[in-house]
Amino acid sequence: MDNEIIFDNVSKFYGEVLGVNRVALSIPPGITSLVGPNGSGKTTLMNLMTGLIQPTRGSITVRGMSPKDPENFFRTVGYCSQFDSYPKGFTGYQFVYSFLRLFGITHAEANDKAWAAIQRVGLEEAAKRKIAGYSKGMRQRIKLAQALSSDPQVLVLDEPLNGLDPLVRAETIALFREFATAGRHLILSSHVLHEVDIISDQVILMAAGYVVAEGQIRAVREEIEDHPMQILIRCQQPQRLASRLFEHDHVVEVKVHSDGGGLLVKTKSADRFYLLMNEIAAGNIDIETVAPVDDDVNSVYGYLIGSEEPTR
Amino acid sequence: MNPNWNLWMRQTWAVMRLEIGKSFFSKRGLWIYLLAFAPIVIWGGHSYEVMERGEDRQKMAQRSPGVTRQKMAMITDEMSKERILAILGPPARQQSFGRRHPVQIMRWSDGKAEFIVRFRDGELENISLREGCSFEEDSTVFAAIFQFFYLRLAIFWGCVFVFMNLFRGEMLDKSLHYYFLAPIRREVVVAGKFGAGLLATGVIFGVSIALQFAGMNLHFPKETVDQYFSQGHAIQHLLSYIGVSILACAGYGSAFLVGGILLRNPLIPAGVLLLWESINGILPAILRKFSVIYYLKVLSPVAIPLDKGVPGPLAMLAFGTDPVSTPVAIIGVFGLALVLLVVAAWRSRSMEISYAAE
Repeated sequence: MDNEIIFDNVSKFYGEVLGVNRVALSIPPGITSLVGPNGSGKTTLMNLMTGLIQPTRGSITVRGMSPKDPENFFRTVGYCSQFDSYPKGFTGYQFVYSFLRLFGITHAEANDKAWAAIQRVGLEEAAKRKIAGYSKGMRQRIKLAQALSSDPQVLVLDEPLNGLDPLVRAETIALFREFATAGRHLILSSHVLHEVDIISDQVILMAAGYVVAEGQIRAVREEIEDHPMQILIRCQQPQRLASRLFEHDHVVEVKVHSDGGGLLVKTKSADRFYLLMNEIAAGNIDIETVAPVDDDVNSVYGYLIGSEEPTR
Repeated sequence: MNPNWNLWMRQTWAVMRLEIGKSFFSKRGLWIYLLAFAPIVIWGGHSYEVMERGEDRQKMAQRSPGVTRQKMAMITDEMSKERILAILGPPARQQSFGRRHPVQIMRWSDGKAEFIVRFRDGELENISLREGCSFEEDSTVFAAIFQFFYLRLAIFWGCVFVFMNLFRGEMLDKSLHYYFLAPIRREVVVAGKFGAGLLATGVIFGVSIALQFAGMNLHFPKETVDQYFSQGHAIQHLLSYIGVSILACAGYGSAFLVGGILLRNPLIPAGVLLLWESINGILPAILRKFSVIYYLKVLSPVAIPLDKGVPGPLAMLAFGTDPVSTPVAIIGVFGLALVLLVVAAWRSRSMEISYAAE
């Protein structure tokens, strides 16, 4: 359990306003995305995780450490918050370097680590310029450099891809992937659902201060029984295949694809459906591809949270 | 857990390095310099005026040679104009005005003091002797400015701004999380911020005191100043004033640091504390001890004479304190500051970053 992030029945109220309620989570290493509409409690959860706010009830441990002990906690955890404000007059380099000096390390060590982090986010040329003159994307990257600079085991990132251009966005996602290897935690929140799909090992779906679902996205999808799984089958004889499928009670709907080259099937049991497809494929119907179409974050989000669309 | 003093010292210094620049060079802090350096202008102006007046009296002495302090002392209210002129000789300067009841003012000088005689309708109306400036007089005025203006207004409000903003200002700027996301104990952040505030206010107000002291002595002859510094108490007085200023910064600073952590509106606690400090002299003995000014009064090197001519409110501000020894007074201020810093450190541990609520 010491390599997990644990929320033990955590609630946070701002006066009478609910932040998050009864959150019980065990987050394993890897990339975990927090997904939910504005005001759903994502940032509150991140701020609780890093001790910037304190729970009204419950407790939090990150790899066995409490945020109440910042001296040890932040040697393991880096947080790139959503706050877009900086000590006045700082250059990008000073922002990272001065932060590292707070660790109590020497000038030489802080200098080396600062440049290494700045290099990692590709901001070497702008590092000596004042942050006040940075674009939104550059400010995001210097915050990321700050969070990465101490080489933490846990990286918490609040909307880290906001304001990044497509090229930098791709590089940053690659950076996240690289970071999350070797058993490290990367927790991020994002509104961009297709990116969450690409990046995440697991997701935590939030709505109105509650955790609606958590886990690997496919597993979460399979647990949504109200909405049968949709599967697209590409084949040469869709009508024949459709008649075969209707013989099984777990298949609830079959539509011929608009281009006539396949079927869109809804089933209540993905497992049984895939077994069936194995049987059919061994028979005399030629099947080209079988692919689920609604086991991505976007679909799961839509099924669970409904009309509360995230900002894109 | 073993206390890691070495690490904490390095971290405290790292926080101080970040904070010192803000405390010294904040644009909003310009008025602290105005408050701190205003007395220098007063003393500079005073010295200039005394030097000008001294030159003028020298010229007058040349015009009325033979005028001495003894001759001036011989003049009494009953004397006629002729008798006065016979003793002092022709005046160095005279003015006449009025037609129905003509007024004549005559002035003599021995180069230092100025003797003024006023006649109305040819009869002696008034005589006055204006002495030159003395160390005693200037020292008393210096002590009065120090206690009534410098300690109670300049340092007090300077500390309100600097120390109240150490946490509060960063909450408003939304940059406090910079510290709270680093592996540093909140107590160390408090210590570093307080150290930076104390260094900044200590330097600003200490330098100002030294310049005020120089301004006060500027008009005295060089040999007199040399004698004051070599044989008098000049250095002791100067160091005492600087020391009291730094103690005031520590005492008030710690109070406002706590205020900045606990409260959103800094002016209310500042006003309450100012009132508390002002009525310290009339509080019961036990309550007086919970005040910064109580200890600082004891440490001020020159006492302000409290005669009947001192107006009521000023007399209340300068009210004598119970005798406390210097070490007790110093330990008292530092003790008070330490207690307040412990409160600040304790409260900082549960501080939350809630910029939206600000």
